[in-house]
Amino acid sequence: MARVELSFKKGDSLFHRMTPFSKLLLVLSVSFVAIFNTNLYVGAGLFVFCVVLAVFFTGVPVRQYWALGRIILPFILILAVVFPFFYGGQATVGSDTIALRTPIKDLSWAALGFGALLALRFLALATAGLAFAFTTHPTDMVQNLSRRGWDYRLVHAPVLGLVLFPSFLELGREISITQRIRDLGQNTNWFKRKWIRMRHLTFAMLVLGLRNGQTQAMALDIRGYGAHKTRTFMREVPKHRGGEIFAWVFFVLSVIYLIYEFNPATMQWNIER
Amino acid sequence: MKSGEPALVLEDYSFWFKPPAGQPEGPAALVDVSFEIGAGDFVLILGRSGSGKSTLALNLVGIYPDYFGGRNQGRMLIRDPERGLINRRELAAAERFRRVNMLFQSPEDQIVTLTVEEEVGFALENYLFEPPEIHRRIDRALDLVGLTGFRERQMLQLSGGEKQRVALAAMLALEPSVLILDEPTSNLDPAGTADVLTTIDRVRARLGLTVLVIEHEVDEVFDRVDSVLLVEDQRVLGPFTPRQFIEERGLYVRDEMGLWIPQAAEVALELRAQGIDLGTVPLNGDELVAAVEAQGCAIPFAARVPRSSPRTAKAPPPAVIEVQDVSFSYGDRQVLTGVTCTARRNELLAIVGQNGSGKSTLASLFNGIAQPDSGVVLVDGIPTVDYDFAQLAKRVAHIFQMPEKQFVRNTVYDEIAHGLRALELSEAEVDERTVEFLKTVRLLDRREASPYVLSHGQKRRLSVAAMVVGQPEVVVLDEPTFGQDYYQARNLMRLLRQLADDGAAVVFITHDMRLVAEYADRSAVLCDGEIIFDGTPSGLFAAGEVLERARLKPPSVYEFAARLLKEPVLTTPALIEIIQEEIRG
Repeated sequence: MARVELSFKKGDSLFHRMTPFSKLLLVLSVSFVAIFNTNLYVGAGLFVFCVVLAVFFTGVPVRQYWALGRIILPFILILAVVFPFFYGGQATVGSDTIALRTPIKDLSWAALGFGALLALRFLALATAGLAFAFTTHPTDMVQNLSRRGWDYRLVHAPVLGLVLFPSFLELGREISITQRIRDLGQNTNWFKRKWIRMRHLTFAMLVLGLRNGQTQAMALDIRGYGAHKTRTFMREVPKHRGGEIFAWVFFVLSVIYLIYEFNPATMQWNIER
Repeated sequence: MKSGEPALVLEDYSFWFKPPAGQPEGPAALVDVSFEIGAGDFVLILGRSGSGKSTLALNLVGIYPDYFGGRNQGRMLIRDPERGLINRRELAAAERFRRVNMLFQSPEDQIVTLTVEEEVGFALENYLFEPPEIHRRIDRALDLVGLTGFRERQMLQLSGGEKQRVALAAMLALEPSVLILDEPTSNLDPAGTADVLTTIDRVRARLGLTVLVIEHEVDEVFDRVDSVLLVEDQRVLGPFTPRQFIEERGLYVRDEMGLWIPQAAEVALELRAQGIDLGTVPLNGDELVAAVEAQGCAIPFAARVPRSSPRTAKAPPPAVIEVQDVSFSYGDRQVLTGVTCTARRNELLAIVGQNGSGKSTLASLFNGIAQPDSGVVLVDGIPTVDYDFAQLAKRVAHIFQMPEKQFVRNTVYDEIAHGLRALELSEAEVDERTVEFLKTVRLLDRREASPYVLSHGQKRRLSVAAMVVGQPEVVVLDEPTFGQDYYQARNLMRLLRQLADDGAAVVFITHDMRLVAEYADRSAVLCDGEIIFDGTPSGLFAAGEVLERARLKPPSVYEFAARLLKEPVLTTPALIEIIQEEIRG
């Protein structure tokens, strides 16, 4: 069975002591800045900031980040390499001087900078996301958010997702193996076979996934899930005043930066044009 | 800790499933059910597949009609600690599950959190218990199921037996009045089964809990239960005492209803049918040995050669699959180490071992689903790596434990025809052979049905038929009789025997030692990724060290036959024959 790598790692770091809500605020702030930023230096700074947080303030070994990071690294590299060819002045991240001549298209420093910006964007998102996942106990998140008025059944859904995802992956793997064993799409060309198999996989996973989901739903119901509008929590949610202030300060700074980014006078993507 | 008071009473209870929109209501799924279960009783619910056992259990819990809808009539009374026996309807919907709770068959399907502590505390949090009380109950429940020290373990890292015990602890933490267990050991190896049953015994002794268990494999539970309920054609008969049940209906439920009965009782009832009455029908080995002794036989009988199958004495048939010094790992986890074994034509090979010992991984090497890290797997002398996967899959048919995962077509007919079309036969020939196969597996009347809507037994027959229709040289089955009753299991094993006799090599992975004893020609034991035994089933059951290391347990008949005879036998017919001869002189 596949293992859940995105699981909580026990610890006593600053991040562990911050409330899930503070961390969520911080991660969302990082995400919005990373997504809407058009400045290469801010992008680089944000990535360095995330790495410093992850390495020094989460208490999680770098190899844990690398174990997952290496999975998405090829995707990020593809972005960095492919997107410069589609650069059309979306962001001013370098001069128009030709930096690289290729058989497809000559790439300017701005185009290369654009690729780098995209890569930095996803690196920052991934690092911040992993720092959150590694240091946030799912139940604490459920508790923290439901104490802030969210329906606990809604916020428990990600926890269920973590529990069910490996089984779901395993189901898909087994059905794929079956398709190979039974040579589904035999005597058809490659494309048609892939299409037939994808269609069957979707249908079988839907049927079997729903059936498993039904049993899971019964198991939840039997254990009083939804019996009352609220629930108690046996774990004490961590609290760290300094961490909370830090998250709010970063949030405010992010908002200010985003206002600057979206200011028609300064923004590089002129929507009105 | 029985109080003698009723814990659960049903009076003329009937239930109808909710019909699909716009369609009329169907016939009742439970008809006029009336019974009374005493507080602290341990009750076995028996019935053939599809008879309504699970429907009854889900009604007792309240999943039907509260959750899935449907209509019920009659009364269901449940003991409430404060108010005594009350109508279930008087309890708030949310409170009903606290009184009667249920443990499902598969531990995987009921995990809802990531750690043991959260899993056990989850229901308590939902029922608004305060944290100190939650922690107290978690400790107590884990202690009851023998998992003290497991609080912070990840659920996904537990074995099957441990997961099932955590699920049981989660139920016990709620302190229900009645607990229903739906085949709690069917996914477990013998060690896991023993753990769960010991836990149930401990819980009953300490809490006096009323427990209802649905089981196919009755050997381990029959002499533990206080009473038996028989579900037949949507009606519930009983409760009977186990002995009364066996006396009155023993051979009937085995022969007419296709249910398993304890092997000790089977021996006595067969002997009775042949004119040798051992008196009160024994429910376990101890009672059978005493009953035979009471007939004037000196125990153990004089040394004699057991009636072992003559097929074990033949020269080894040719090998189709040769596994040579194979190692395999999933990432950092070593699963197989230096495994060497063979699968031969005309032979049924049983691969046994604990959950996680590497059985399924080994089987997946046979048809190239996985390739070894080192060593080689040969099929007909050619390494699997040199085969085209589709061609190899046609030669080595692999049948998964869950038949649904194997279906690739929309109708039963097409499932079978799919394999024949791969042989590039004419459409007329495909049709003729498909119909013939459908008749063999008794599915002709369901030819246009979706494979997903068949009963479990039908699905299993279809999955086997669909894989063997192309006449493979090797058939590999993972837990072939999982969740099947006596009839279904016997018919399937006969089909496998037939395939082996026709020249195929049949390999089956199982936890069921009765199956190994009755049908396997050879058995291979995997323990921690290594083959620690390869030989006949009788050799395996005689190898105490191997059994201990792999945490296996011989079937009951072997154990009590070992006490009756100087050399044990593997099957009840063989033992019956010997006892008969001994008593008749």
